[in-house]
Parts: sequence; C-alpha cells; structure tokens
Amino acid sequence: MDSQHQSTVRHQDIVRESVVRAEESTAEPGSPNGHRHAAMPAAEFHAASEKILAAINQVIDGKAEAAKLALTVLLARGHLLVEDVPGVGKTMLAKTLARSIDCGVSRIQFTPDLLPSDVTGVSIYNQSSRQFEFRKGAVFANIVIGDEINRASAKTQSALLECMEEHQVTVDGTSYKMAEPFMVVATQNPIEMEGTYPLPEAQRDRFMARISMGYPDQASEIEMLETHQAVSPLAKVTPVVTAADVAAMITAVQQVYVSQAVKEYTVAIGHATRDSARLRLGASPRSLLQLLRAAKATAALDGRDFVLPDDVVAVAEPVLAHRIILERKAAGAGDTPQSVIRAILASLPVSRDSAADARRA
Amino acid sequence: MAGAIAAAVIGASLSLNGVLRGWAWLSPVIITVGVVALAMAVLRALRAPAALVTLGGFAALVFILCNTFLRKESIAGFIPGPDTLKQAFVLFDRAGETVYAETAPVAPNTGIVLLICLCLGLVVLLMDTLAVPLALPATSGLGLLAVLVVPATIKPQGAGLAGFLAASAGFILLLGCAQWFAPDARLQSGTGRGQGQLRRSVVLGGAALAVGLVLPLAVPGFDQGTFPVGSRLNPWGPSNGLNPMITLGNSLRTPTGDGRITYATSSSTPVYLRSVTIDRFEGESWAPDDRASSRRLGTGQIVPGYTLPEELVRDLTIIDTGQFTSPYLPVPYTPAAVNGLNGRWSWDPLTLSIRGEDRTSRNQHYTVVSVSPRITAAALTQAGTASPADGELSEEFTQVPGNVPEIVRNTAGTLTTGLRNNFAKALAIQRYLRSAEFTYSLQAPVQGGYDGNGLSVLADFLQQKSGYCVHFASAMAVMARVTGIPSRIAVGYAPGHPTGNNIAVGGRDPLTEFSVDARDAHAWPELYFEGLGWVPFEPTPSRGSVPDYAADAVTPGGSGSNLDEDDIPVPNQTPLPSSSAVAPAPLPGTGTGAGTGIPQAVFVLAGALLAAALLASPRLLRAGIRARRLREVRPPGQAGPAVPPALAWDELQDLARDYGHVPRPSETPRHFAAGLQGSIPSALADDAGMRAVHALTADFERHRYGRPADGGAPGAGARLTADRLSAVRAMLRRGRSWLVRLRADWFPPSLLSRWFRTISAPFRWAGRGAVRAGAFIGNLRKAVRPLRRGN
Repeated sequence: MDSQHQSTVRHQDIVRESVVRAEESTAEPGSPNGHRHAAMPAAEFHAASEKILAAINQVIDGKAEAAKLALTVLLARGHLLVEDVPGVGKTMLAKTLARSIDCGVSRIQFTPDLLPSDVTGVSIYNQSSRQFEFRKGAVFANIVIGDEINRASAKTQSALLECMEEHQVTVDGTSYKMAEPFMVVATQNPIEMEGTYPLPEAQRDRFMARISMGYPDQASEIEMLETHQAVSPLAKVTPVVTAADVAAMITAVQQVYVSQAVKEYTVAIGHATRDSARLRLGASPRSLLQLLRAAKATAALDGRDFVLPDDVVAVAEPVLAHRIILERKAAGAGDTPQSVIRAILASLPVSRDSAADARRA
Repeated sequence: MAGAIAAAVIGASLSLNGVLRGWAWLSPVIITVGVVALAMAVLRALRAPAALVTLGGFAALVFILCNTFLRKESIAGFIPGPDTLKQAFVLFDRAGETVYAETAPVAPNTGIVLLICLCLGLVVLLMDTLAVPLALPATSGLGLLAVLVVPATIKPQGAGLAGFLAASAGFILLLGCAQWFAPDARLQSGTGRGQGQLRRSVVLGGAALAVGLVLPLAVPGFDQGTFPVGSRLNPWGPSNGLNPMITLGNSLRTPTGDGRITYATSSSTPVYLRSVTIDRFEGESWAPDDRASSRRLGTGQIVPGYTLPEELVRDLTIIDTGQFTSPYLPVPYTPAAVNGLNGRWSWDPLTLSIRGEDRTSRNQHYTVVSVSPRITAAALTQAGTASPADGELSEEFTQVPGNVPEIVRNTAGTLTTGLRNNFAKALAIQRYLRSAEFTYSLQAPVQGGYDGNGLSVLADFLQQKSGYCVHFASAMAVMARVTGIPSRIAVGYAPGHPTGNNIAVGGRDPLTEFSVDARDAHAWPELYFEGLGWVPFEPTPSRGSVPDYAADAVTPGGSGSNLDEDDIPVPNQTPLPSSSAVAPAPLPGTGTGAGTGIPQAVFVLAGALLAAALLASPRLLRAGIRARRLREVRPPGQAGPAVPPALAWDELQDLARDYGHVPRPSETPRHFAAGLQGSIPSALADDAGMRAVHALTADFERHRYGRPADGGAPGAGARLTADRLSAVRAMLRRGRSWLVRLRADWFPPSLLSRWFRTISAPFRWAGRGAVRAGAFIGNLRKAVRPLRRGN
C-alpha cells in the first residue's frame, strides 16, 4: 500500500524533527503547496474571530471556552475530538462552527456498518464515458462532523484518520486533495456502551485537542430551555466568514512567531510528562508540535504575533490530556491526566534567568 | 554631574582656609579634584562599567597626586613606583606630625597638602559613586559634611560662611543635576516631581537656616556655657596632643577645669610647672622640638646642659598628675631629679623637658627635686652685660628667624633704644607688654583670627594688643631674640591655688598642696643670662606672678601692673632627702602604656561609621542594583536609548518580593503580574499602578517572546520605566503594613534572598558534586560487576 508506506515515512520524519524547530515545520504534511492564502491582517483577523465566536456563543450558551478552543483548533489546522455524555451539545458545537463559516460541511453519523468507502469515496465505472469515475465521499468537505466516531468499525475509523493526517484521499492509486480549510470534528461518547470501538491511543494522537463540553450552568441551562423551545437556534446562524477568510486566518496563525524561550518551555513540558512517575506514556514529539501550533492559534486569537508561555499553558490540557496514559497507581490514587498536567505546569520553571536572557539579547 | 561634585567639593574645601594658612594649598586641591572628577566623567561618557569608572577615578587620583607632589620619585612623572611610596610615607609622616603637633592654622607644607588632596580626591570618588551608580545624590552630601566637619572642629570660628555657602551651593547643584539627569531620582524619593518639590525644598531649607540662625540667639549663655564660642567640643577628655601649644587656648577657655594636677611644694615662691619649651621660631607654627637624638634616659639625675651658679635653692615638689595626659611631664624648673615615675622617661639636656618613652603623664605620682639659682635683679644686671660665650649655648636659642614681621622688629627696636644691658632690655619689653595698652583676652584672638601661635599671629597680636599668654610670651621671646637675648617659650602651668590640704613628707613640716587645671595652662618666656641660666619672665598681665627680680622696682618709670603681691623672697634652704637624691628609683619597665584618648576615639568613630554603613548597606546596595537596572542602553539597531525590558522586569519582580509577593519560577510573566495585581486589596488598588504593572509585563513579554526582528521590544525610556515602577511601588506600599514597608526599605528581601543564594551556592555545589560522585561510583560498580562475574 503506497499511502500506508508514505504515512510511515512521514511519521518518522515528524519524530525526527525536533520540536524546537517547530516553526520551519509548520507547513505540515499534506498542506496545499502553491495556493497558499495571504495572511490576514491583525485587525481583520480579530474581527473575523470575534464574529465566529459570537455566532457560536449565540447558539451554545455558557460554553465560550469550548467555542474558543474549537476555533483555535480550526485555525491551527488540527482536528477536534469532543468527548462527553450524550445531549450536552457536542454536535451542536460542531454544527454551529461549521455553519458560521461559509464552507462545505458534511456530517457522517458513524455506525458499525459504515464502510471506509462511504467516508473517502469510491470509484464507479461510468458507462457513458467508459471510465472509472471517483465519487467523493463525505470527507470531502471543509468541516467534517463525525458523530459518535467510536461506533464505527476500526477499519472505517482508520480511513477517516488517514484523511485527517494526510489531508488527502488515495483511491485506486490516485490522490485527491482535501479542500482547505479541512477540519474533522469528531464526537465520542465516553460511557462504555455495547457495540463501540473506542479509539486506540495512536489514533487519538491524531486529534489536536480533546474537549469535553460539560454541563451548562444553571442560568445558561434555563436560557437554553427558553430560547431553544420553538425554533432551532441553528437556523439563526448565518455564515459570517468565508472559507477563504479562514484560510487566510490560518496563514496568519502560521506566521505567529515562536521564541526560543517558548520552544524550550514546550520541550520542557514534554520531558516533564515523559519523566513523570505518574505517567506511563508521556507526550509525543508530534503532540508537542501540535501543542505549539495550538498555542500559536491562541496567541493569534489573543491579538498577538508571538507566542507566550501562557498560550502554551492555556492549550496544554486539551492538547495533551488525551494522549498521555496514567500509571495504574496514579489512576488508583485519583489522578486524572488533566490533574497530572496541571501539576506539571505548576512546578515547571517558565524561564530560568531573564537577566541572562537580556545579556544574550 | 561630575562638575557639580567637583564644584561642591572645592566649595567645601574653601572652608579649610583657616585650618591651613594662606591660599597656596588651593590650587593643588582644585587640580586634584578637577582631574578626578573629569576622569570619572570621561569614563562614564565612554560608557565604562560603574566599577571601572570608580577604579579609573582612583587611578587618576593616584596619578595626579604623584604628578603634583612626587614627580621626581615617580616613573615618568606620574606613575607611582617604590620610591614614590617611600616618599609618600615620609610626607604622610610629616602630615601626621603636623596634625598632631600643630594648631590651626597650620602652614601648608607638602605633607599636609598631599594628605588633604588625597582626602578630597577620595571624597570626590565617594560622592561620585554614591551619586551616580548608586543613585543616592542626597546621601553623597555626607562627603561634603566630612569635609566641613574638619574646619568646624578645628577652627575656633567654625567652618566659615564662605566655605559653607560654597559647599551648599555645590550640593544644591549636585541635587539639581541628579534631578535633571538621573532617571532614578523620582523612584528614590517615591514622590512626584515638579513645582511642589522645588517649593518644598526651598521651604525646608529656609526653615533649617532660620532655626540655625535663631536658635543660638535664643539659647542663653552661648558665650560662656558649656561650649563658649572659640572652644571646641572635645569629648575625649582633656588634652592632648604632643603640642601643648595647640590646646593652650582651648584649655584656657574650657569652663570646667579638666586635667587637674595637684602638687605640694616646699618652695616659697610660686611654682610654675613647666612641661616643654618652644625654641624654634622659624616655622609658621611653633612646636616643641623633640630632640630625640640628644635625649637621655632615666630621670634619677638631671643635669642641665649649661652651668648653673653655685648658690642654689633646692626645693622638693610632690606632684600628682591625675587625669592630665601629655607626653611631657610637668615639673618645676630646674629639675635635678624626678623619682617615683612609672615607665621609662627621658630628658633633654638643653631644655630639660622630660618626656615619656612608653608612658604619658596620666596618673603619675612623683617627687621632683628642683634647684634654682638665687636670682636677683643685681645679678641679672651684671649677667646682662656679658654676652654668652660661644658654644656655651646652642644656636637655636639665639637664631633670629628671617621672616620676623616688621612690626615685631620695630617694636623691639623702639623699646630697647639706648639700652645696652640685656636685663634692662628684657625688663623694657616685659614692661611694655604688661602696660595698660595690652589687655588680656581669650576671645579677642579668636574673633580677630589670630588664635594660635607663630610669627604672623604675633604681628596681629602686636597690632590688636589683645591676647593671652601664648601671645604675650611669644612676643617677649621673639623680641628678646631680636634684640640679642637668647630666649625660648616655656609651656606649662601658672602657679595654682591652695587646696587647703597639707601633705606630710617624712620627717618634715607638712607641705601646702596646690592644684592647677586646664584653666591655669600658661606660657611664659625664658631668657638666658650668662652664669644664671634660663630665667623666666612674666609678660602676661593678670596671669601668673612676676618674679621678684623682674618686678619693676629696679627700672624707673615702670607702669607694669603687677597684680601679685607675693614677691617676698623666702629662700628656703631645704635639705634633700638623701635617699631620693642619690638612688634613682628603679624604673619598672612594664610595656602596657595607657593609650591616649584620640586613637580610641578614632576607633570608636570608625566603628560607628562602619556599623552605620553595614546597617545602611542593604538599602544602598538595593538602590545600586535598581539604578544599574534602570540605566538606559542603546542596543544596536534601535532608535533611542531604553531600559532593557528584562531588567525592568527583574526590578518589578524584586519590588514585588520586597513587598512580600514572591514570584514563583513556574509562573508565567502574565500570571505573576495577575497575581501581583490580585495581591492588592481592591480598595487600595489604583489605576496607575495596575496600568504600570500591565505595561511592564507587556514590554517584557514582547521583549522576551516577541519577534527579534523588531529588536526585541523597543523598551521604555528610563524616565517612563522609573515612573511605572514608582507607581507600582506606591501601590504596593499603600497596601502593606509599616513593618513590611520598613523591611522593604532597609532589609529588602529581594537582596537578602540574593545574598542567601550567594552564600549557599558553595553548599549547593558541594551537594550536587556529592550526588554526581555517588552516581559515578554507582556506574563504576555497575561497570565493574560484569567484569568480576567474568572472572
């Protein structure tokens, strides 16, 4: 399998790449070479991001954090895994995000009998032209909502994950590029249910961030009951930005500057997770790469053109928590991946000596 | 800034006029001060590090001193070599002697001028260091104070208006420069700048001046109280110095009689206790000649260096010096033997001054056998015709200094016209000085500016015709010498007052006890008459007692005002106790000499200064660190000078630490700033402080994490940074208790933790080394184990 082979090679490349050189490698594999969008100016960027967030918040009450994180992941060219119990608005979040952008949206409801070709597409013999024609699957959209991804079979899951990683689909030796921007928002039900195939760790690593919605607070819930009674709030959402705008915003995010100090800090976080006695599996180099990309998007959303340690800290939990695995003892002692990451961040020195830094500068 | 310091120091040094005579010393002082200040200014302009600037200033000081004073001994005229050092020590010794032995105003000899230039140069260094790198321009006034203290304690008139005004003007200029140029001044004061500050300072200065001027008028008895005008604070007990002349005026002016000496004597004539003589009149200032080479040890038998007449009166005097401290022993003239002294003592055959080799006169109790020729007017008249034989008398008693003022010569000439007999001349001079023209006054010389001694003082005295014993005695001695009579000035005590006690000496009538104290300090001339030896006279009106031979009975037309009626000669032939006369008492040679008060006082003062410096050092250091951080630099490729944001950030963190908000290493800048802002009760938080924290944080973030292409962050100017920090400081102070504020001011925790880290660093290294060594040994074992197994 050619694509399989390519994928392994690329993976090794990523592993070999030091995260310290992250900025050179921001053009991740599968990124469209050639038609890169010009970076969006800071003011427009700010306005556009505000509009998107306002649109989401208009529909989902009291979940500003989750909305912001979803936008962050979109701008960082990552994929989002929303994990929570049913009925807290996972799909609603994904849908609103998709709806507020004027772009192609598709939704895949994963079921055990869903086939890989349903996701990627299939070549069909066209009688009239006497040729095989490629019918694009559901994944060919700017924003793909994968509902209950853990219900699909492992084969189908991996087909989707491959698209996510490669930003392209290879069918019968032909590669089809995905549209840009491309983002998969997958939802997953954490409660053990019959007939589900939970994502293995390796595949969860493909998602840039995992968030859980959590229950809304009382006021938000009351308001939700009030406003959502008659008409679906989704209907009110109209696209506020175009796909090209989002692409330009992504380019702007990619141009955010990452200083040596922040790179060092990011690497230090990775090392700390790997050295932690409470963790069986620490953060992978790819996860650090994604952490930094998410931090860049956060910085951009905050109106800065450089990354602060605060940006890294802000996204560390959603980016890292679903990739690390606790030691059994730690899990028994009541630790969660989130708490371990919080502890690491609380003890890790941010910068050793700013005076020495100044002398160096 | 450097100019202001130089101006201030030179201004303060103006007040030294009066401590040093004349103005000749001023030009080397100006050169030295100017060169040091200039060198430091140039180095600073070249942006040398602070330590280098101070070192450079010091080097400049050494060079200019070598060039000015030790050119011959120095390499290439200004680089100090080994010879320079030797010569410098010689000069310093001379300066030390001057300080010890002379009274103000002293002649500006090379040694003392070198010393003063050195001190003033060091003061410039100190002030510059305080004012610029440590950013404590106000504190640097201490240097000026140190300069002003010298004349204030030495000169009877005080520091003097000109010097004080000049020093103040320089200081104000310095403060002004600090306000205009130093970025840190505002932070230091913690208050706003502008009109208010100026007004405040003017009001404060005016009030201080008014109090200083009015208070002395309001306090009664400034003329006679504990410290009358002209007397100086002398907290270290009476006396003392090598030169009794130095303290004579001050002793006479002390309201309390310090240095009480009691003595009992068998002599019938009033006894003058004499400690030392002055016999060289050349110098600008007179001091006893030590004559160390000709001194002889042991006081059991004292033989004068000239022949005494055969007919001698022997007297026994028992003296208890009590607290009187002087290297010279007060004894009645002419001592023949002194017994009962502690320590080793030596005497000079020429002057018969008795000097302690390892002791002072403090707490000595001794018996003096003195002899005196029976001197009568007739004998003197007879002796007065003969001129001293050659070689009989050392030249130093006859030498007339070349620089005797005209008025002295003229007066002496007028007085002795037509008189051939030396005795007649002497009487004429004494009569003139005791005449109604002259008044005895302790204050007049102080006010007239001729307090002290020396030839120029003498001229003033003869014009003003008012002074005290030193003036009278020296006038007579010098005039006698001018007219050809060998003379010298004796210094000691005038006859004292009976205490009412009687002292019994074995087997004889009890002797009347007298006492003298500082107020009886006296100087009188001694004139040499062939065959009779040194004969004392008494030209000072109302003091002492005129010896009967010198009383004016002999000379006709005398208008002398001899106040002492006690001139009945009772030549009391006293048999000497043979034991004391023959066998000199063994001299216990214990080595523990009682130190005089001055070095102790110096040590106490130095200790106090050191303690104060230690106490203030955290604050000073903290201020220094702050000033260093807030210095503007011009990084390459940037428009204007700016404070590096990282250093401003360090300062913010230290500020927070000082006020109890300790930054954690795991905090991001933003997090720290938020914590700092959150630590202030919302009631006390103010917008300016919050904004300042935010701005400093933003600057630092941009600098540290921003794109280097922008040159990091532009960084704020020193003024702006200082303003921001002072806003934060004001906010922090408002929220904290006075204890925390006190600690932040005097024992800043940021500094103490820094010290603690420095002190503990070796231990940490040791600990780390031990861990590493342990790991290494462990690895070695692991490596060795398979080999062993292999065996």
